[in-house]
Amino acid sequence: MKAILVTFDQAHYNKVIDALQRSNCRGFTAWEHVLGQGSVSGEPHFGSHAWPSMASAIISIVEDHRVDEVLGKLRAIDLDRPKLGLRAFVWAIESAI
Amino acid sequence: MSLYSGAVKRPVMTTLCFVAVVIMGLFSLSTLPIDLIPDIETNTLMVMTSYPGASAQDIEQNVTRPLENTLNSVEHLKHITSQSRENISVITLEFEYGNDIDVITNDVRDKLDMVESSLPDDADNPIIFKFSTDMIPVILISAQASESMPGLYKILDENVANPLARVEGVGTVSVMGAPKREIHVYVDPDKLEAYSLTVEQISQVIGAENRNIPGGTFDMGSNTYSLRAQGEFDDVQEMAELVVANRGGSPIYLKDVAVIDDSVEERAQKTYTDGQQGAMIVVQKQSGANSVEISKAVAKMLPSLQKRLPSDVKLGIIVDTSDNIRNTIASLTETVLYALLFVVIVVFLFLGRWRATLIISITIPISLIASFIYLAITGNSLNIISLSALSISIGMVVDDAIVVLENVTTHIERGSDPKQAAVHGTNEVAISVVASTLTLIAVFFPLTLVSGMTGVLFRQLGWMVTIMMIISTVCALSLTPMLCSQLLRRNPNHGKIYKIFYTPIEKALDKFDDGYAGLVGWVTTHRWLTVIICLAIFVGSIFLMKGVGTEFFPTQDNSRLGITLETHIGTRTERTDSITLALYEEWKESYPEIKVFNYTTGQASSDNAWASLQDNGSHIVSMNITLVDPSDRKRGITEIAEQMREDLKRYPAFEKVQVNVGGSRNGSMGGQSIIDFEIYGYDFTQTDSVAANLKRVLQGIPGTADITVSRSDYQPEYQVVFDREKLRLYGLDLATAATYLRNRVNGATASRFREDGEEYDIKVMYSPEYRQEVEDIEKILIYNSAGQAVRLGDIAYVGPFDTPPTIERKDRERIITVSTVVQDRPMGDVVKDAQAEIDKMELPQGIAIQVAGSYEDQQDSFRDLLMLGVLIIILVYIVMAAQFESYTYPAIIMTSLMFAFSGIFIILFLTGHTLNIMSMIGAIMLIGIVVKNGIVLIDYITLNRERGMAVRTAVVNGCKSRLRPVVMTTLTTILGMVPMALGSGEGSEMWRPMGVAVIGGLTFSTILTLLFVPVLYCLFARNGIKRERRKHAKMLNAQKN
Repeated sequence: MKAILVTFDQAHYNKVIDALQRSNCRGFTAWEHVLGQGSVSGEPHFGSHAWPSMASAIISIVEDHRVDEVLGKLRAIDLDRPKLGLRAFVWAIESAI
Repeated sequence: MSLYSGAVKRPVMTTLCFVAVVIMGLFSLSTLPIDLIPDIETNTLMVMTSYPGASAQDIEQNVTRPLENTLNSVEHLKHITSQSRENISVITLEFEYGNDIDVITNDVRDKLDMVESSLPDDADNPIIFKFSTDMIPVILISAQASESMPGLYKILDENVANPLARVEGVGTVSVMGAPKREIHVYVDPDKLEAYSLTVEQISQVIGAENRNIPGGTFDMGSNTYSLRAQGEFDDVQEMAELVVANRGGSPIYLKDVAVIDDSVEERAQKTYTDGQQGAMIVVQKQSGANSVEISKAVAKMLPSLQKRLPSDVKLGIIVDTSDNIRNTIASLTETVLYALLFVVIVVFLFLGRWRATLIISITIPISLIASFIYLAITGNSLNIISLSALSISIGMVVDDAIVVLENVTTHIERGSDPKQAAVHGTNEVAISVVASTLTLIAVFFPLTLVSGMTGVLFRQLGWMVTIMMIISTVCALSLTPMLCSQLLRRNPNHGKIYKIFYTPIEKALDKFDDGYAGLVGWVTTHRWLTVIICLAIFVGSIFLMKGVGTEFFPTQDNSRLGITLETHIGTRTERTDSITLALYEEWKESYPEIKVFNYTTGQASSDNAWASLQDNGSHIVSMNITLVDPSDRKRGITEIAEQMREDLKRYPAFEKVQVNVGGSRNGSMGGQSIIDFEIYGYDFTQTDSVAANLKRVLQGIPGTADITVSRSDYQPEYQVVFDREKLRLYGLDLATAATYLRNRVNGATASRFREDGEEYDIKVMYSPEYRQEVEDIEKILIYNSAGQAVRLGDIAYVGPFDTPPTIERKDRERIITVSTVVQDRPMGDVVKDAQAEIDKMELPQGIAIQVAGSYEDQQDSFRDLLMLGVLIIILVYIVMAAQFESYTYPAIIMTSLMFAFSGIFIILFLTGHTLNIMSMIGAIMLIGIVVKNGIVLIDYITLNRERGMAVRTAVVNGCKSRLRPVVMTTLTTILGMVPMALGSGEGSEMWRPMGVAVIGGLTFSTILTLLFVPVLYCLFARNGIKRERRKHAKMLNAQKN
């Protein structure tokens, strides 16, 4: 099992959920409004007067073999709208109940 | 769920909600009546008290003064004026606008009850009379006649006045200028004397003969019959055969001593229309009825009424007040539509996308249409004020929609889907949209709180704009995002035509941006120079203010002239008629602009309510002139009036002349301004000489015309003074002797002649040729109870006297008013010159001169509006300070107001308009509009700084990127006003100054704001940074130590 944390401009929300569903990843946890900025480029998402846009975050624990498929779909979304920003991070789950 | 995400998620519901609003709005629109100005509730009450037999002075002392002293304590009283003349006291109470007149009437009644017991015993109870605008006639109809002239009154009364009175909403219909039928028995005094007969005996005989008397009933066989003595005349000439006496056994017939003349009243008003005699039919409306509806119904009825009249009687319309209303509203509606078109074009040029333009075009009308619902609910009408409010708002309601649209577009361009972009884009700007609406509401809402006449007019403007702004904000936060989510596309494909058409515009706009950025770069490096130049311009424009005149309301060209001419008091009607005819002939030639020329001369009979309210008398001529529409003639109405005044100088017979633009002198709106100089003082001769002096002085001041003195001349009359001792000697009393006199000159009403259900007076009097000289009067024979005769000349003296004129008072002091019309010159200048001359005059002690009239109204309104301006500036500052969470930024933005006012002065100076109520309202509106530009700039500059830019970079960058929105919103407002400022339709004189003021102020302030605000920002920001640095250095030093 792997955990995928996806952080993205909130405009992507529906697309990211859609990508997970299409890859047969049913479970996820989402934070609709989170703040943050990229390490290299892209506009900060602070929800402030200067940077009004907001980000969302979704974490989904998926089977190992689904990770590549999900990441592929997410990459496609990001490439389609590069200015909005979307990043995904994967790490291993040691145990679960 | 927020408003906008809800709207985006439920497009059907959102659409239908707004469709419902539009349907309700359009339905309301269809029910709205049309009027010129909002309904103004009457603020005047009249208290009339008659005291038969008392002179003007007695009336003043015993009736007017006690009443005034008591009535003065009624609440909300503004002025109390009174007229005391022989037999009657008329007190006029003027109250502050905006109070319930019914409550006030009750208060006045209570006060009158209190004072009644202290009035003289013979004085009648005071009567309260409510004056209202409903008394102004809606429509004046002329009837020209030739052969039918003698019977015209009856013809018109039956065939025109009665049917018209049945029209819904019509109050009274009165016929003027057509004399009523009267049967005169003209006796020959010499013959009467020979037969020792009197007028009284003859009238008694006529009265006794012209009778039908029921004789009861009697039974004949098996039936009962009623019995009647039938004596009423069937024909007037029957009277000639009446036996009036028997002398020496032979009967004396009426025809032996008198001539029977079946004709019309001797003294009556004569009305001429386009040179032909006829009559005038005055139609007044019921209280609260709509003039436009009435005039429509009346005009529709006229052709059918015409058919019922004899062929020589022609009906025509002299004045139709609703014409002006209809034309004014039509030209204002056109203005609103043009404004709408211009705004849509600007939006398209700047946004460059038809879908975006479509969204804006959908949202503007919704806010406007929704405001009709408010008008319908509150019972208001479609009038100048409400339509001006629409015109003003068009430029402003787009702003909110544009801000939302722009941000959503940015989101879409960054890659969001339209739906997501609509929600998130709106969310980001929602607060600033609400804040900018609040600034505008801070400007317009206080307008609803103004008191006085100005308040009555502008309350509606305030409410309308406030409501439209609120609706446009709701629209911008719900309908606009919904439409964006549905209509906008991520990658719009532009067609070839679009590219050919729009590429040059795009390039030009880019160049404009770059040029401006360069300029901002330059001014921010030459900060002090810029500040000095800008301030110099502001100070310079203040000096221009001296060259801008002030007035109350602009004069409106409604194609109506009302002229009142007076020949010397006591001039015979025939003489007045012949001079007037000459004047008519001349004017008909020299003024081809005249459409209808109607005039009335002579004394009105007392049973004609409308006519007796007007000034009338044998020496007074009143004219109603209707000109062709303003667009069909070259000369304006004021020019024509001025020329007519010049012409009248060549008729010295007319001693008093009033040429009133707009029809009447008292209308405070639309006509030429009137300045009243009120001379307070008790002594008649002193105040008279001051008034004459003042009149002479005023004549020397340019810009004055038609100067009149309110106190009329001493009226010459012949008085019969009886010698009481001689009366007693002959066994007579004064009342008997005076009745003899009256019956011979004025006539004794003997009986009534009945024909076709109508009754006509039969009057017995001396033949006209026997009552033309003083000697004729002196020869009158008076009989005592013993039948002995004495000539009036033996027991009385008949001689000329002057009766003192009416005593006028205002605020419990005697007053004479010298009034002048202001012509071709701003009112403020005339008053200034007059004041300087008055200061030079040496006034007797106890006499004071005060300026009133339109000038007083103007001063009151200007004071109200200035107070309002200050209040609005404070409110706007509060809203901005709250939005920016800073005291400095709003102050910087407020500086753009200076340039707005400079712009107003400059444009008024250049175009020659005056500073009046309308341009002041324009200036007040500007407060809200101008600061919006500043807000947009400062908001974006601070945003740039928060994003980490240096001060100057933030300023140059921010200014460059906000240039287009600023220019676009400014252009939409300016172009929305252009049709108002350039309009040439009827009534456009009213709103032109407002349009001009807004355009001038906004253009000038936008140009300077775009340069001055960034510079000021730089200065303040730099100071802030320096302060921070000093603080930091101190802290470092402290740490070191």
